[in-house]
Amino acid sequence: MGRPMLHRRFIFRQITRSGKQALVLVLCVMLSIVSLVSISGLGDSIRQNLLKDARALHGGDIILHSRSPFSAPLEAAVSKLTARGEAKSLRVLEFNSVVLNEKKDASLLSNLKLVESGYPLYGKVTLASGRSFPAVLAPGGAIVGQVLLDRLHLSVGDRICVGKATLVIRDVVVNEPDRPVSFFSFGPRVFIHMDDANRLGLISRGSRIEYSLLLKTAQGANIEKIAETLRASAEKGERVETYRSARSRIKRFFDNFLFFLSLIAIFTLILSGIGIQSSLTALIREKRRSIAVMRAVGATGGFISGHFVAVVALLGLFGTILGTLFGYWLQYLMPALFGGLLPGTLRPGLSWLSATQGIVLGVLVVSLFAFVPLYRLREVKPVAVFRKETAASRKGVVAYISMAALTLLFAGMILWQLEDKRIGAWLLLGLAGLIVLSGLASQAVLSLLGKISFKSLALRQALRGLHRPGNATRAILITLSASFSVLFCIYLVEKNLNATFVRSYPANAPNLFFIDIQPDQIQQFSDTLGFAPRYYPVVRARLTAINDEKIDPEAQRTRRGDNLGRTFNLTYRDDLLDDEALLAGTALFGKNIQGLQVSVLDTVTEMHPLSIGDRLQFNIQGVPVEATVSSIRTRTRESIEPFFYFVFPGDSLLKDAPQTIFTAIRLPRADIGKMQSRIAAKFPNVTPIDVTQIIADFATILEKLTLVIRFFTALGIAAGLLIIISSILATRLARAAETVYYKILGARGRFVSAVFTLENLLIGLLSGLLGLLFSQVGAMIISVRIFKIDYRFYPAQSLLMVAATMLMVVIVGMSASVSILRQRPMAVLREQTEE
Amino acid sequence: MATHLNILTARDLSKSYRIADREIYILENISLEVQAGEFLIVAGASGSGKTTLLSLLSGLDRPTDGRVWIEETDITDLTEDALAPYRNRSFGFVFQSFHLVPSLDARENIMFPAELRGDPLAREKADRLIARVGLDGRHTNFPHQLSGGEKQRVALCRALINTPKIIFADEPTGNLDSENSAVILDLLLDLRKEYGATLIMVTHSPEIAARADRTILLKDGRIAGETVHGAAHAP
Repeated sequence: MGRPMLHRRFIFRQITRSGKQALVLVLCVMLSIVSLVSISGLGDSIRQNLLKDARALHGGDIILHSRSPFSAPLEAAVSKLTARGEAKSLRVLEFNSVVLNEKKDASLLSNLKLVESGYPLYGKVTLASGRSFPAVLAPGGAIVGQVLLDRLHLSVGDRICVGKATLVIRDVVVNEPDRPVSFFSFGPRVFIHMDDANRLGLISRGSRIEYSLLLKTAQGANIEKIAETLRASAEKGERVETYRSARSRIKRFFDNFLFFLSLIAIFTLILSGIGIQSSLTALIREKRRSIAVMRAVGATGGFISGHFVAVVALLGLFGTILGTLFGYWLQYLMPALFGGLLPGTLRPGLSWLSATQGIVLGVLVVSLFAFVPLYRLREVKPVAVFRKETAASRKGVVAYISMAALTLLFAGMILWQLEDKRIGAWLLLGLAGLIVLSGLASQAVLSLLGKISFKSLALRQALRGLHRPGNATRAILITLSASFSVLFCIYLVEKNLNATFVRSYPANAPNLFFIDIQPDQIQQFSDTLGFAPRYYPVVRARLTAINDEKIDPEAQRTRRGDNLGRTFNLTYRDDLLDDEALLAGTALFGKNIQGLQVSVLDTVTEMHPLSIGDRLQFNIQGVPVEATVSSIRTRTRESIEPFFYFVFPGDSLLKDAPQTIFTAIRLPRADIGKMQSRIAAKFPNVTPIDVTQIIADFATILEKLTLVIRFFTALGIAAGLLIIISSILATRLARAAETVYYKILGARGRFVSAVFTLENLLIGLLSGLLGLLFSQVGAMIISVRIFKIDYRFYPAQSLLMVAATMLMVVIVGMSASVSILRQRPMAVLREQTEE
Repeated sequence: MATHLNILTARDLSKSYRIADREIYILENISLEVQAGEFLIVAGASGSGKTTLLSLLSGLDRPTDGRVWIEETDITDLTEDALAPYRNRSFGFVFQSFHLVPSLDARENIMFPAELRGDPLAREKADRLIARVGLDGRHTNFPHQLSGGEKQRVALCRALINTPKIIFADEPTGNLDSENSAVILDLLLDLRKEYGATLIMVTHSPEIAARADRTILLKDGRIAGETVHGAAHAP
């Protein structure tokens, strides 16, 4: 027949004459793609730039870790391998220690890394001078982080004192392959050659040193098989991992963080989808009469549906392209946004796969959300030419099927993104709960408001406006309150963490900790301080079994949070501390319990149920010891006071075990630096920890992380605001008619504006208040249950957040309504009559 | 210039639109005077400019040329806000398509103009009018729950609640069957008398025109003729 399947001019006309609705639709699509693409891109950048080489990230093909010098069998197994030429090995020691300037009047707790020649086995350590790391790092020298130079006012060539040794600063480290970002360790990096290890005088039994042996296997070697052989020789506390199996802290952090951002992106996607549906409904409602006329003159349902699918596809494509470009452009903002959490050298790294995945997902979501309004085109019958649409049509089976498909899609997306399906299921449940709660609360509030009779006519009209047919009031309230609850919750948790740990640092809480004091240094240490603080003996040990049931350290390590597989600090004393109380037992130690007793902190019972009489087996530096639980303690307040999981009696065998001493004191802020330097000069083995500095660093990191989260949550808010605009557009005709009716009946412009302003104000107020309610509950749960801190409600800030929400909703709502308010009565009346 | 007895005076009213380079006249040089209490019919074929004339006389639209006086006030250039008190207190509107606020029930629709002027007796007045037009028991029904005839009765009550000087009615029976048309027309005319209002009505119906004091006939935007049905009113 030669008749074209699609009329290009018809499609073009529908797009150009749909103006604002088309624009909102494009913006919604763009927003959904932006959040997906930018987060995918961020993930790609991190993987490509920071985590791309797992060998470099973990330091070798096979990595051996231990908290104490490696056992003889493992050393022998490694020697055998190297002797046979199957692998090359390299030793690394890492620990924190104070570094002083040469005059010893300024000091800084630093992260020392002692490496043998040949380091790194994989990757490259970048130095500020551009020279090669192996060529620069030689005995007698140190390569330090810029922060150390800045804080101690030093330059390359100056000397620093580390332990008993004095070293020359040879260069500045810019980047190291196994530490691509620096915020996981407090204190700057200091590289020292392994040959200087003994000269430092800092390495003794019981010191907190992380021993690593990095192995580079020969070409073609079976890494897993070698690792298995080494595991057979490893003793308790020695870990043998391959670069494939090892999960670095940094990778874990970014995996979790990216997952959290992905959740926000999915949330934004849902909101954008609702916006797409709402704006498309508005667009089709505007075209309803034209569609009816076309049907009346013989256009088939297929013709109409086909053309509107093409319209949506074109607008969707345009939004997708814009979203992808904008998302890609955002990659350039990421290093600035992360403000130092990521290295400035991070390059945008959006892979084709991620871009395609994002776009496909976006298109899928657009299609699913657009399906119902497009399907409803079939409901426009030729008879609509004569009849005016009165009530919104009911949701059909197709709408419910489409909603079910969307729910499944989003649930699948969340579960797919998370490795831990249990947590994924909880998060999904939480998100669904938030949406359901928002829906129920919105419905309840709207019903309640409908029953109240207000005196103000404008307020009454505004309330009636919320129930206007086609008004997406409930959808707006759900989306806005859910987004605001996430945003407010993050803000409240941040404020609470800040208040607890940063701003209201308890006046009498210790602010300077000293660890690794030797027992014979106590008197001299007190003399140097000028007073005798309380000293806490610390004996390092592992828990090996509970009631003869062995603890599997590997299995324990896979747990989230604290675990029983790690090394614990035991202490001995006979009294309860001021901030302790007994949960079980009448005294710290019972008279009727035979043998060695141990008092356990309730935190341990969260990892494994325990009760009085249970037997705990420990490995105290090679010596097996069994003790019976005599009491269970709890802490009466969260503070920065020292606490111990396991407390033994004062006269127990722990007294004779190898131990170090720990103390915590409080000094005026100004005196901390001087005291640190004095102690560091006199007791090189003692590590002072300036808690106030750590807290300040923590606050900075917290601030940066919340900034990133806020940025992505803001995209969700933008989607919510687009829903407001699309809802106003969807009810444009009804609103215009109301405006004109008010005017005809004698209302002034001020009254009409007041009605619309109040309507938006009510939406802002309700969504703000609901968001605040959910966020307060959520933030309280997070603060009390996860961070275990007292919760503050911040009423003034909360009210400000609600006020800001109201203002934002009013501004957006009124901006979208301006053209409606300006309509001349006659034009609208004619339009209404013609309909 | 408004004369003393006239409640409404229009002089040389024109309304035109520019489409491309052409000036299209909907109304051209219409002058008329309406006396207080008069029942004036504006008749004419479809497209003759009847509704446009009504919208210019009632201040719902602005003329391209010419002026409109309500009693001695020139309302031609008044802003929307300045026109508001006229629409609220001096005018009542009845439309073919009812134009009720869909989110308000019958009583609320009727009360609305009285509430706008702050009348404390708005509810009582509305209830009296509801009873008067035979809508008892329909107070809380929303427009979509009412029939066409009932909607127009609500619109009629709304137009009268503030005791207007002039009622502008644009084909008030145009959307109704003959039975409802007769009822509405009787109510409208009876209530006009009770409230002493001037009535300016656009209609096609010769039967209605026969009950008016005067009819002006529009053709192609101009007054093509005028018929005085009672002796009291001269053209």
